[in-house]
Amino acid sequence: MSSSRSLLEVRNLSAAWDGVPVFQDVSFDIGEGEFLVLLGPNGCGKTTLLRCLAGLERPTEGSILLDGRDVTRLPPHERGIALMFQDPALFPHRSVYENIAYAPLLKRRPTAEVKEEVGRLVTLLHLSGFEDRRPDQLSGGELQRVALARTLAARPRLVLLDEPFASIDVELKAELRSEFRQVLRASGTSAIHVTHDREEGLFLGDRVGLLFDGGLHALGRPSDVFGSPGTARAARFLGYNVLAGPAGLVGVLPTDLQLLPSAADGLGATVLIAGPVGRENQVVLRTDDGQRLEMRTTGSVPLPGAHVRLGWERSVRLAPD
Amino acid sequence: MRFRSEGFAFLLPVVAFVALFALLPVAILFANALAQVGGASGFVAVVSASRNLRSLDNSLEQGALSAALAVGLGYPAGVFVGRYSFRGRSLLRSLLLVPFLLPSLVVVLGVLDLFGPSGVVSSALPATAWFGSGIPAIIAANLFFNVPIVLLLTATGCEGASVELEETVATLGGPPSRAYREVWARPTWVGAAAGGLLTFLFSALSFAPPLLLCGASARCYTLEAQVYALDQTFLDPNAAAVLALAMVLLLLLPTAVYLALVSRLRANPGRRSASPRPIDWRAPACWALALETTLVLLAEGALLAAVLYRTVAPTGHYGAGAAWAALFSSSTTDHLGVSALGALGNTLFFAVVAALLALLLSVASGYAVVRRPDRAVALGLLLFVPLLLSPVVLAFALSSFWRPFVGTGTNVWTLVIVSQAILALPFALQSLEIPLAGLSAAARDTARTLGATSFGAFLDADLPRVRDGLVTVGLFAFAFGLGEFTATNFLVPPQLTTLPVALYALSEVRLFPVADAAAGLLLLLSLAVFAVITVGGRRVEL
Repeated sequence: MSSSRSLLEVRNLSAAWDGVPVFQDVSFDIGEGEFLVLLGPNGCGKTTLLRCLAGLERPTEGSILLDGRDVTRLPPHERGIALMFQDPALFPHRSVYENIAYAPLLKRRPTAEVKEEVGRLVTLLHLSGFEDRRPDQLSGGELQRVALARTLAARPRLVLLDEPFASIDVELKAELRSEFRQVLRASGTSAIHVTHDREEGLFLGDRVGLLFDGGLHALGRPSDVFGSPGTARAARFLGYNVLAGPAGLVGVLPTDLQLLPSAADGLGATVLIAGPVGRENQVVLRTDDGQRLEMRTTGSVPLPGAHVRLGWERSVRLAPD
Repeated sequence: MRFRSEGFAFLLPVVAFVALFALLPVAILFANALAQVGGASGFVAVVSASRNLRSLDNSLEQGALSAALAVGLGYPAGVFVGRYSFRGRSLLRSLLLVPFLLPSLVVVLGVLDLFGPSGVVSSALPATAWFGSGIPAIIAANLFFNVPIVLLLTATGCEGASVELEETVATLGGPPSRAYREVWARPTWVGAAAGGLLTFLFSALSFAPPLLLCGASARCYTLEAQVYALDQTFLDPNAAAVLALAMVLLLLLPTAVYLALVSRLRANPGRRSASPRPIDWRAPACWALALETTLVLLAEGALLAAVLYRTVAPTGHYGAGAAWAALFSSSTTDHLGVSALGALGNTLFFAVVAALLALLLSVASGYAVVRRPDRAVALGLLLFVPLLLSPVVLAFALSSFWRPFVGTGTNVWTLVIVSQAILALPFALQSLEIPLAGLSAAARDTARTLGATSFGAFLDADLPRVRDGLVTVGLFAFAFGLGEFTATNFLVPPQLTTLPVALYALSEVRLFPVADAAAGLLLLLSLAVFAVITVGGRRVEL
C-alpha cells in the first residue's frame, strides 16, 4: 500500500499529438511499493501517459519527479522506469535466460550475480526448464512471464504495465494477473498498470484512477472510486446505468435494477433482448424516453418486446458531464 | 510531441549524400549547358538535331516494344509463381529472377552466343539469326533482363491479393472469373504495369545493347547512348548535357507513374499475410501458365548455358579453353591497360565498397522513415531521384562536378563507388522495406526502458530483426556493382578498368571468345551471389 513518501510525483502533465491534446494537467503521486491502476477507454491517452513517464515521449507541459529528482527530460535508459507492453516484445534471437539477463548484463553486473538473479526470477515466475527456449517456442502466458522477469531483473524503481494481459485468453488472464500482482508485491516494486478492463483494474489496484476526456477524473481506493464515481461519464465507464430523475442524475448498477409489478409507478422500458449469462439473466432495455439500460437479475425476465416497469433501491448521485 | 530530433541523425547523411552526389551535380550540369547553348532556343536546336531525334525515336521504340513484350511474357509466369503453391515454387521463383541480377553485358553476349553470326541456335536454325542483330537482338537482350522484373512485380501483386476476400466472393456465389475481376486482377495488373514501366525506363535508356548489337553505326542508339556519344565521341559536352536534360524530362512522367504504382502495390492489404493457393492441376489454365513459365525458364537457361558453353568450347582459332588463357595473357593486358586479374580486383573492390555504402544509406534512410513515417513521402521522392537519372547522366554530372576535386587519375575510384551506390539505392531501399516494416517499436522501447541507449536499442532490438534483409540488400547491391558498366565505363581511367568495362573493350574489337571468357567469369560471380541470396529463402524486391 501507499506509504507516506512519494516515489513518483506527476505534476500538471500534458501531452499532445501534432497540436491536438491527448491529456491535460494530469497530476498524481505513487508511493513505494504501491500498485496504481489507471482505467480508461481506448484512445484516452493511457499509453501516451506511460510513454511520457518512461521517457519515450516528451510531454508538452508539466514535470515528472522520481525520488524527488526531476526526470522529465532524462532519456529512457537513465530513468529507472521500465515499461512492459501488451506485446511482450522479447528479443527473438535470444533465449529465455538471455532475455531475462538483458538488463543486468547491460549494467555489467557480475556474471554470478546475474545467474543467481535470473534463477530467482525463473523460479518466481514458474519458468524453470524454459531457460534455453527461444520466444517462438513459448505460449502467450509464458511470453508475458518472461517479459515480467526481464523487467524485474532490471531492478527498476517503477514498473509501467501497458495492458499486458489484453491479448491473453480469459482463463489464463485471471491466473496471470494475480501472479503478476503477487510477484510485484513480493519484490516491493511500485507499478502503474493501465487498462480498459474495469474488473481487472478494480481487482488489482491499491488505488485506481479514471482517465478519460483528456484528464484524470478520479483517484482513490477501488471501493471508493467505484462507490462514488462522481460524474455521469465516470459512472458509465464503471458500468452504471445513468438515469435522469427528478432530483438530478443518478447511477444505478445493473444488479440493482428491479422489475416492478406492471401497475407500479416505475420507469417504463421495453425489453430489447434477454438471455442467461451463467446463473444470472442479462436484459437490455430501452426506456420510454430512449435511454439504453442494462439489468442483471437472478429472477425470471420477460420476453423481448414486453413493456416493463423498473425500480431500484440503491443509487448514487452524479454530477453532469 | 515526439522528440523532434528522432530519426534526424539517420536522415541527414542520406539527404546530404544524394544532394551532393546526385542533385547538385546534375542541376549544375544542366544549368551550365543551357546557359552555354543559349537557353530554350538552344535546347530546342539540340533536341531537334536529326541524330538526336533519331535516338529519341529509338528510345521510345525500343522502350515500348520491350515493355509490351516483357509484360506479355512476364505476366503469366508472375501469376504462376505468385499465386500458386507447388513443390519447388520458391526455387523456381528464384531461378526466374537470375537474369535480373546478371550484368547487362553478359546478357548482350548471351544473345550473340545464341543468335549471333556463329551462335549456338542460329547455326542450327538459320532463321533465328534474325534475332542476332539490330532491333530484334536489342529487344531480345532487353527481354532477358526485364521479363524477370515484370514477373517479380506481378507475383508481388498476386501475393497482395486478399485470400479472405477471394473466399468471400466464392462463398457469395461468384465464379473464379468473378474472383479474378474483383480481387486479384487489379493488383496483378498494377504489378505488371509497374514492371512494364520499369522495363520501358531501362530499355529506353539501354546502353550496351545498342552499342554492341547494332553494328558499328549509331542507327540504333538510344538517348543514353547518344548522350555518351555526344560527350565522348563528338566532344560536345554541352549538347550532351542538354540532351540528357531532355531525357530526364521525358522520363519524369513514367518514373512518377512507376513509383505511384509500386507504392500502390505495396499498400495491398494482404501483402504481408497472403499465402499462395494450392495449384489445381486439373485446371487447363494452370497447365497453360506452367507451360509458359517453363518456356521463360528454358529461354533464360539457354542464354546462361550459351555464355558458359562459349567460354570452354573451341571458337575460331581458339581451341577449347584457350579463351581463358587469352583473357589472362599479356596481350589482353596490353589492350586493356590492366590485367584481367586486376580488372577482377577492381570490380570486386568497387562492388564491395559501393554495396556497403548503399547498405548504410538504405539502412539509415529506411530507419529514419520507420522512426518518422511522416517523412516517408519526402524522403522517398528524394531517394528515388537516382531512378530518374540514367547511369550516363549520373556519371556525366559526377564527372563534370567532381573531376576538379578528384582529378582524372586513380582518385576517380571514389566517383565510381558513389555512382554505383546511388544507382543501387532505390532497389536496395525497396528490398529493405519489408524487413523494416517488421521492426517492433515495442521491442525497441522496451530495450530503452531497460537501460539500453538509443544505439544500443538499435543493435539489440532492431538489427537482429533486419539481419536477413540487410544481407539480401548488401548482396543485391554487390551484384549490381559487379555488373555495372555504363557509369563505370564513363568514369574509369584504364588502370581502374573493371571486368564489365574490359568485356566491352574486348567486344568492341570483336575479340568475342576472350570477351566470352570475361562474361563467363562475371556470370559465375553473379551466380555465386545469387546462390547466397537464395539460400535461406532471401528475396529481392523491386
